[in-house]
Amino acid sequence: MNLMPGIDTTASALQAEKTRLDIIGQNIANANTTRGVDGKPYARQMVSFESKMIELGKSSDGSMQYGQGVAIKDIQADKTDGPLVFNPGHPDADEKGMVRMPNVNVTHEMVDMIAASRSYEANLQVVRTAKQMASQAMRIGR
Amino acid sequence: MIDQMFERENYTLAKKLMDVSHVRHQAIAGNLANVETPGYKRKDIQADFATQLAKLAGQDDMKGIASLKPTLRTDFASPAVRADGNNVQMDKELLEMNKNATQYEFLANYTANSMKRIKTAITGRVM
Repeated sequence: MNLMPGIDTTASALQAEKTRLDIIGQNIANANTTRGVDGKPYARQMVSFESKMIELGKSSDGSMQYGQGVAIKDIQADKTDGPLVFNPGHPDADEKGMVRMPNVNVTHEMVDMIAASRSYEANLQVVRTAKQMASQAMRIGR
Repeated sequence: MIDQMFERENYTLAKKLMDVSHVRHQAIAGNLANVETPGYKRKDIQADFATQLAKLAGQDDMKGIASLKPTLRTDFASPAVRADGNNVQMDKELLEMNKNATQYEFLANYTANSMKRIKTAITGRVM
Protein backbone atom coordinates (compact mmCIF):
# COMPACT_ATOMS: atom_id res chain seq x y z
CA MET A 1 0.00 0.00 0.00
CA ASN A 2 1.12 3.45 -0.90
CA LEU A 3 1.95 5.64 2.08
CA MET A 4 0.68 8.78 0.43
CA PRO A 5 -2.71 8.02 -1.14
CA GLY A 6 -3.15 9.03 -4.77
CA ILE A 7 0.28 10.56 -5.21
CA ASP A 8 1.03 8.81 -8.53
CA THR A 9 -2.34 9.78 -9.98
CA THR A 10 -1.75 13.40 -9.01
CA ALA A 11 1.79 13.36 -10.41
CA SER A 12 0.44 12.34 -13.83
CA ALA A 13 -2.10 15.17 -13.67
CA LEU A 14 0.55 17.74 -12.72
CA GLN A 15 2.67 16.57 -15.64
CA ALA A 16 -0.28 16.79 -18.05
CA GLU A 17 -1.31 20.28 -16.88
CA LYS A 18 2.29 21.44 -17.19
CA THR A 19 2.44 20.25 -20.81
CA ARG A 20 -0.84 22.07 -21.44
CA LEU A 21 0.65 25.29 -20.00
CA ASP A 22 3.73 24.80 -22.22
CA ILE A 23 1.52 24.57 -25.30
CA ILE A 24 -0.51 27.63 -24.26
CA GLY A 25 2.76 29.52 -23.82
CA GLN A 26 3.84 28.42 -27.29
CA ASN A 27 0.53 29.61 -28.78
CA ILE A 28 0.79 33.04 -27.14
CA ALA A 29 4.44 33.36 -28.16
CA ASN A 30 3.48 32.66 -31.78
CA ALA A 31 0.35 34.83 -31.84
CA ASN A 32 1.91 37.00 -34.58
CA THR A 33 4.05 34.44 -36.40
CA THR A 34 3.00 34.73 -40.03
CA ARG A 35 5.60 32.26 -41.28
CA GLY A 36 6.04 29.08 -39.32
CA VAL A 37 8.48 26.21 -39.98
CA ASP A 38 6.31 25.02 -42.90
CA GLY A 39 6.13 28.51 -44.45
CA LYS A 40 2.46 28.93 -43.47
CA PRO A 41 1.11 31.08 -40.63
CA TYR A 42 1.44 29.42 -37.21
CA ALA A 43 -1.51 27.12 -36.37
CA ARG A 44 -2.83 27.07 -32.82
CA GLN A 45 -1.96 23.80 -31.03
CA MET A 46 -4.58 22.08 -28.89
CA VAL A 47 -3.93 19.54 -26.12
CA SER A 48 -6.41 16.76 -25.39
CA PHE A 49 -6.38 14.67 -22.24
CA GLU A 50 -7.28 11.05 -21.69
CA SER A 51 -7.52 8.82 -18.60
CA LYS A 52 -4.80 6.28 -18.00
CA MET A 53 -4.69 3.39 -15.55
CA ILE A 54 -1.88 3.65 -13.04
CA GLU A 55 -0.75 0.85 -10.71
CA LEU A 56 -0.86 2.17 -7.15
CA GLY A 57 0.66 -0.90 -5.52
CA LYS A 58 -0.83 -3.84 -3.68
CA SER A 59 -3.47 -3.39 -1.02
CA SER A 60 -3.47 -5.23 2.31
CA ASP A 61 -5.27 -8.28 0.83
CA GLY A 62 -2.75 -8.62 -2.00
CA SER A 63 -4.91 -7.36 -4.84
CA MET A 64 -3.46 -4.74 -7.14
CA GLN A 65 -4.97 -1.29 -6.84
CA TYR A 66 -5.37 1.00 -9.81
CA GLY A 67 -5.91 4.71 -10.04
CA GLN A 68 -7.08 6.78 -12.95
CA GLY A 69 -4.31 9.14 -13.94
CA VAL A 70 -4.18 11.53 -16.85
CA ALA A 71 -2.08 11.49 -19.98
CA ILE A 72 -1.82 13.75 -22.99
CA LYS A 73 -3.70 11.94 -25.76
CA ASP A 74 -2.36 14.09 -28.55
CA ILE A 75 -1.49 17.63 -29.51
CA GLN A 76 -3.39 18.70 -32.62
CA ALA A 77 -3.23 21.80 -34.76
CA ASP A 78 -6.32 23.97 -35.13
CA LYS A 79 -7.00 23.83 -38.92
CA THR A 80 -9.18 26.94 -39.14
CA ASP A 81 -7.82 29.95 -41.05
CA GLY A 82 -6.68 32.99 -39.14
CA PRO A 83 -7.91 36.50 -39.95
CA LEU A 84 -6.79 38.36 -43.07
CA VAL A 85 -5.29 41.71 -42.24
CA PHE A 86 -4.54 44.50 -44.71
CA ASN A 87 -0.87 45.34 -44.29
CA PRO A 88 0.80 45.95 -47.68
CA GLY A 89 4.22 46.66 -46.22
CA HIS A 90 4.43 43.23 -44.58
CA PRO A 91 6.95 40.80 -46.14
CA ASP A 92 4.32 38.01 -46.13
CA ALA A 93 1.59 40.11 -47.75
CA ASP A 94 -0.01 38.75 -50.95
CA GLU A 95 -0.45 40.80 -54.19
CA LYS A 96 -3.57 42.51 -52.72
CA GLY A 97 -1.63 43.52 -49.60
CA MET A 98 -3.46 41.08 -47.29
CA VAL A 99 -1.60 39.09 -44.63
CA ARG A 100 -2.94 35.80 -43.22
CA MET A 101 -2.46 35.98 -39.45
CA PRO A 102 -2.20 32.93 -37.14
CA ASN A 103 -5.50 31.61 -35.75
CA VAL A 104 -4.38 32.22 -32.16
CA ASN A 105 -6.89 34.15 -30.07
CA VAL A 106 -4.86 35.57 -27.19
CA THR A 107 -7.94 36.14 -25.00
CA HIS A 108 -8.94 32.52 -25.48
CA GLU A 109 -5.42 31.37 -24.58
CA MET A 110 -5.38 33.50 -21.43
CA VAL A 111 -8.66 31.98 -20.22
CA ASP A 112 -7.29 28.51 -20.97
CA MET A 113 -4.13 29.37 -19.06
CA ILE A 114 -6.12 30.37 -15.96
CA ALA A 115 -8.09 27.10 -16.16
CA ALA A 116 -4.87 25.09 -16.47
CA SER A 117 -3.18 26.82 -13.54
CA ARG A 118 -6.29 26.36 -11.36
CA SER A 119 -6.34 22.61 -12.12
CA TYR A 120 -2.63 22.51 -11.31
CA GLU A 121 -3.32 24.20 -7.95
CA ALA A 122 -6.14 21.77 -7.13
CA ASN A 123 -3.81 18.84 -7.75
CA LEU A 124 -1.10 20.39 -5.60
CA GLN A 125 -3.67 20.68 -2.82
CA VAL A 126 -4.28 16.93 -3.14
CA VAL A 127 -0.56 16.29 -2.62
CA ARG A 128 -0.48 18.57 0.42
CA THR A 129 -3.43 16.76 1.97
CA ALA A 130 -1.91 13.33 1.21
CA LYS A 131 1.33 14.42 2.90
CA GLN A 132 -0.60 15.65 5.92
CA MET A 133 -2.46 12.32 6.15
CA ALA A 134 0.79 10.35 5.96
CA SER A 135 2.43 12.39 8.72
CA GLN A 136 -0.62 11.92 10.94
CA ALA A 137 -0.44 8.16 10.44
CA MET A 138 3.23 8.33 11.45
CA ARG A 139 2.30 9.97 14.74
CA ILE A 140 0.28 6.94 15.92
CA GLY A 141 2.05 5.30 18.81
CA ARG A 142 4.47 8.12 19.36
CA MET B 1 -3.55 -11.01 26.01
CA ILE B 2 -1.77 -8.29 24.13
CA ASP B 3 -3.56 -9.36 20.94
CA GLN B 4 -6.93 -9.01 22.60
CA MET B 5 -6.01 -5.53 23.66
CA PHE B 6 -5.53 -4.48 20.05
CA GLU B 7 -8.50 -6.40 18.68
CA ARG B 8 -10.98 -4.32 20.60
CA GLU B 9 -13.87 -2.70 18.71
CA ASN B 10 -12.39 0.77 18.75
CA TYR B 11 -9.16 -0.31 17.01
CA THR B 12 -10.94 -2.50 14.46
CA LEU B 13 -13.30 0.31 13.57
CA ALA B 14 -10.64 3.02 13.54
CA LYS B 15 -8.43 0.88 11.31
CA LYS B 16 -11.26 0.17 8.88
CA LEU B 17 -12.31 3.83 8.73
CA MET B 18 -8.71 4.93 8.14
CA ASP B 19 -8.48 2.41 5.29
CA VAL B 20 -11.66 3.84 3.82
CA SER B 21 -10.30 7.40 4.09
CA HIS B 22 -7.10 6.27 2.37
CA VAL B 23 -9.00 4.69 -0.55
CA ARG B 24 -11.33 7.69 -0.73
CA HIS B 25 -8.39 10.07 -1.00
CA GLN B 26 -7.07 7.98 -3.90
CA ALA B 27 -10.46 8.27 -5.60
CA ILE B 28 -10.58 12.04 -5.08
CA ALA B 29 -7.01 12.38 -6.37
CA GLY B 30 -8.10 10.54 -9.53
CA ASN B 31 -11.20 12.72 -9.88
CA LEU B 32 -9.25 15.97 -9.53
CA ALA B 33 -6.57 14.67 -11.90
CA ASN B 34 -9.28 14.07 -14.52
CA VAL B 35 -11.14 17.34 -14.00
CA GLU B 36 -10.62 18.23 -17.68
CA THR B 37 -10.59 14.77 -19.27
CA PRO B 38 -13.42 14.52 -21.81
CA GLY B 39 -16.11 12.03 -20.81
CA TYR B 40 -14.57 11.09 -17.44
CA LYS B 41 -17.00 9.97 -14.73
CA ARG B 42 -16.10 10.49 -11.08
CA LYS B 43 -15.23 7.55 -8.80
CA ASP B 44 -16.18 7.15 -5.16
CA ILE B 45 -16.60 4.52 -2.42
CA GLN B 46 -19.73 2.41 -3.03
CA ALA B 47 -22.80 4.27 -1.77
CA ASP B 48 -24.03 1.58 0.65
CA PHE B 49 -20.68 1.23 2.48
CA ALA B 50 -21.76 3.49 5.38
CA THR B 51 -25.04 1.61 5.92
CA GLN B 52 -23.27 -1.78 5.77
CA LEU B 53 -20.71 -0.61 8.31
CA ALA B 54 -23.37 0.85 10.62
CA LYS B 55 -25.33 -2.42 10.44
CA LEU B 56 -22.28 -4.56 11.31
CA ALA B 57 -21.26 -2.18 14.10
CA GLY B 58 -24.77 -2.38 15.51
CA GLN B 59 -24.48 -6.17 15.61
CA ASP B 60 -20.97 -5.99 17.17
CA ASP B 61 -19.76 -8.12 14.26
CA MET B 62 -16.04 -7.26 14.36
CA LYS B 63 -15.09 -10.07 11.95
CA GLY B 64 -17.62 -8.73 9.47
CA ILE B 65 -16.21 -5.23 9.82
CA ALA B 66 -12.64 -6.44 9.36
CA SER B 67 -13.59 -8.25 6.14
CA LEU B 68 -15.65 -5.35 4.76
CA LYS B 69 -13.77 -3.95 1.79
CA PRO B 70 -14.14 -0.43 0.45
CA THR B 71 -14.40 -0.62 -3.34
CA LEU B 72 -14.55 2.20 -5.85
CA ARG B 73 -17.56 2.64 -8.07
CA THR B 74 -18.06 4.89 -11.04
CA ASP B 75 -20.61 7.59 -10.30
CA PHE B 76 -22.95 7.87 -13.28
CA ALA B 77 -25.69 9.57 -11.24
CA SER B 78 -24.05 12.98 -10.74
CA PRO B 79 -25.04 15.40 -13.49
CA ALA B 80 -22.45 16.26 -16.12
CA VAL B 81 -20.88 19.68 -15.66
CA ARG B 82 -19.20 19.79 -19.05
CA ALA B 83 -20.63 19.29 -22.52
CA ASP B 84 -18.43 16.19 -23.01
CA GLY B 85 -20.10 14.32 -20.12
CA ASN B 86 -17.41 14.85 -17.48
CA ASN B 87 -19.13 15.07 -14.07
CA VAL B 88 -16.28 16.18 -11.77
CA GLN B 89 -17.07 19.37 -9.85
CA MET B 90 -13.76 20.76 -8.66
CA ASP B 91 -15.14 22.65 -5.63
CA LYS B 92 -17.18 19.66 -4.46
CA GLU B 93 -14.15 17.35 -4.75
CA LEU B 94 -11.91 19.76 -2.82
CA LEU B 95 -14.53 20.03 -0.10
CA GLU B 96 -14.88 16.25 0.12
CA MET B 97 -11.10 15.94 0.20
CA ASN B 98 -10.81 18.29 3.19
CA LYS B 99 -13.67 16.51 4.95
CA ASN B 100 -12.00 13.17 4.35
CA ALA B 101 -8.60 14.42 5.56
CA THR B 102 -10.16 15.81 8.74
CA GLN B 103 -11.80 12.45 9.37
CA TYR B 104 -8.44 10.74 8.88
CA GLU B 105 -6.78 13.21 11.27
CA PHE B 106 -9.43 12.54 13.89
CA LEU B 107 -8.97 8.76 13.62
CA ALA B 108 -5.17 9.01 13.73
CA ASN B 109 -5.34 11.21 16.83
CA TYR B 110 -7.91 8.94 18.40
CA THR B 111 -5.75 5.84 17.88
CA ALA B 112 -2.61 7.63 19.11
CA ASN B 113 -4.35 8.90 22.25
CA SER B 114 -5.90 5.52 22.91
CA MET B 115 -2.46 3.88 22.81
CA LYS B 116 -1.06 6.59 25.02
CA ARG B 117 -3.70 5.76 27.64
CA ILE B 118 -2.68 2.08 27.56
CA LYS B 119 0.95 3.11 28.04
CA THR B 120 -0.09 5.27 30.97
CA ALA B 121 -1.96 2.33 32.51
CA ILE B 122 1.07 0.06 32.09
CA THR B 123 3.72 2.43 33.37
CA GLY B 124 1.67 4.49 35.78
CA ARG B 125 3.29 7.61 34.37
CA VAL B 126 1.53 10.18 32.24
CA MET B 127 3.27 10.17 28.86
